[in-house]
Amino acid sequence: MYIPIRAIYIDRWMAKQRKKRTATRKPVLTGRKRVLVVLFVPSLERDGSTPLDQPRWVDASLEMFGRVFGGATAYPKAKGIWRDDERGGALVKDEPVVVHCYTTPADIQDAHNLAELGVFCRKMGREGRQGEIGLVVGDEYFAIRDFEEE
Amino acid sequence: MKTRLDMDKIAKGLGAERRGAVVSSGGYFGARQLLADIEARFHVPSGGGRPTDPSWTERRLLPLAPRTLKRLEELAAKVREHGGGNLEPMQLAALLIEKTTEQLSEGEAEELIRPKRRASH
Repeated sequence: MYIPIRAIYIDRWMAKQRKKRTATRKPVLTGRKRVLVVLFVPSLERDGSTPLDQPRWVDASLEMFGRVFGGATAYPKAKGIWRDDERGGALVKDEPVVVHCYTTPADIQDAHNLAELGVFCRKMGREGRQGEIGLVVGDEYFAIRDFEEE
Repeated sequence: MKTRLDMDKIAKGLGAERRGAVVSSGGYFGARQLLADIEARFHVPSGGGRPTDPSWTERRLLPLAPRTLKRLEELAAKVREHGGGNLEPMQLAALLIEKTTEQLSEGEAEELIRPKRRASH
């Protein structure tokens, strides 16, 4: 009969510990990976006909996201279209690969991480002869059009 | 509560232009986002068992209408078909509650519980 009494005591102790932990938890969990970053890796250059080494850029983007933010997922090719207003509204049809990366609010707002992500996008835009590199962070679309090295 | 991101700071850090908000709660991207969410967050507990989000430490009984449970079962089955692991209907419910509470403002929450005024003369 001694053992069950001891078991009840442990249960109560555990409940007390859990309650305490819940009460001290911060209301805003900034450490959770809940900000989605989406990068579109194009398949063609801006002229709409010259193919891009897409697998190379997909691998490079996964490596960059893995190193900077801890991981990413590249989905199979999608079908896309982009209107190039600087070329008289020419429609560029391509098959982009969409890369998803979940990160934390703190990591996506870190100046060093943003700089690395920006450098990668500009490099892809410059070397891939793009008109624009599209990036979605949280619920906002960002366009990178100036691909000059800093 | 949802932490607001400083979008101007992000745009400046990226060297990008802000082009406006996107809505990705439905359609292809909504479904992809849900699958990615499950993949990123669900882990097998150290003691074994069904994969779950380790931050889900609180348990409550949730009364549901039969039609809601049926809809959750249908949606969870579709997610499983598309590679969403062994997602259970109530795990999907927890994900949806979490997303909605993060997006809902206090004003919108008040609107939900405020009795609708009827047009009268």
